[in-house]
Amino acid sequence: MPSHAPAKSGWQAVCQIDELPPGERRLVTVNGVEIALFNIDRAVFAINNRCPHRKGPLIRGYTDSEGGIKCPMHGWRFDLRTGQSRRPAQATTYRTKIEAGTVCLTL
Amino acid sequence: MNRQNMNTLIRDEYAFFLRERNNWSLTVGPQDLELVAHALRVLLHARTTPDFLDDYRTLVACQNENGGWSPLSSDTESTVWVSAFCGLMLIRGNRLLRHAQLTQSVQQAIDYFLDTQHQDGRWVDPAWADLDTTSHPVSFFNVVMALGETRRQQEVRHAWQQGMCFIIDNQSPDGGWYDDEFHPYGVEITAHLIQDALVAALVLDQQVSGVREACAKGAARLCDWQAQAGSWDEENIDHTMDCTRSLMLVTHILQDSHKRETVVRGLSWILDNKNDRGWGDFPGMETNLERTCDGIDTPLKYQAYSNSGTHEVVKLWGYLP
Repeated sequence: MPSHAPAKSGWQAVCQIDELPPGERRLVTVNGVEIALFNIDRAVFAINNRCPHRKGPLIRGYTDSEGGIKCPMHGWRFDLRTGQSRRPAQATTYRTKIEAGTVCLTL
Repeated sequence: MNRQNMNTLIRDEYAFFLRERNNWSLTVGPQDLELVAHALRVLLHARTTPDFLDDYRTLVACQNENGGWSPLSSDTESTVWVSAFCGLMLIRGNRLLRHAQLTQSVQQAIDYFLDTQHQDGRWVDPAWADLDTTSHPVSFFNVVMALGETRRQQEVRHAWQQGMCFIIDNQSPDGGWYDDEFHPYGVEITAHLIQDALVAALVLDQQVSGVREACAKGAARLCDWQAQAGSWDEENIDHTMDCTRSLMLVTHILQDSHKRETVVRGLSWILDNKNDRGWGDFPGMETNLERTCDGIDTPLKYQAYSNSGTHEVVKLWGYLP
């Protein structure tokens, strides 16, 4: 589980960890931004839901064993930790932490 | 859905599309050119192209010096996929518009694709799988050849053939085309390749070894992949539209009427999963204009496909004048 100190803009609670068990995913909206949450081997990752290519919904994408997510529309792959991609644009990822059973992230 | 209801649906969606003109027309400012090309295809198939000459002229105005286009009209670096889509709409539109500027622009686009093909026949675009990318310039050259454009004719024919062979050589034994990096599941690539590239060879009466068999196997693979409810790729509306349209064209040309049920099931699913206005990328998602353009295009093509005694459906891909 990535653990981060509070950012200047502050952490925001987005769901209970019980609602995001290992292997599951969940779409949340924070300040109008759609964010896809993934629990992979008990580590929670948060990535902007809209693929920077054609805005495909990453929440419906395909995860892989190397911590990647592939967009269901045209197959762009992003690293869930960093948002990096071999394609012409990167995705935005967000820091996450779990505090008292609550999943928090910071924009 | 009966013919009258389908006409009403097309009319209403087209009216919505026109109300959104500020979001797709280059005449109002810079745009995403892939969306623009989708929009120009709607105009073509709705037979309203002559009312939109300025849209074509502004498309010519944002063509780059090397003859290609950029994903964003305000950028200057050409990429293959969007260039092919723009070139395709331009040559098809100019068949109706007959405008000198457009003719010259098409010829520059031909130069661009001849200049950018790789030795093994493929074209490359960082945003798309090589197989998928290659199908687009091949599709453009299909129409260049169908319309009898003479610019560098022998070179075009050679490049076209090389592209065709690259695609055929990379078909999997199960009939699909796959790309490990982009599309391990192959649905969208397979739908694109048989309709946008290969099947035209049968209409153009060009000898390309193995093309009929490749199309038949590809179409059969698409049918196998369809979900019981009619969708493809886990209810992906974009890919379901791709597959449904692909099967209309390919099975019409192959004279394979057994797959009509698959087409009808695909179309029904698409219509069942329409928003109040337009379509989104998946059921329940908000409407976006690109999908809405595909959504208008699909029933327009189905109407032509239903008219099975004619080749009207082939004309909607531009492979017949």
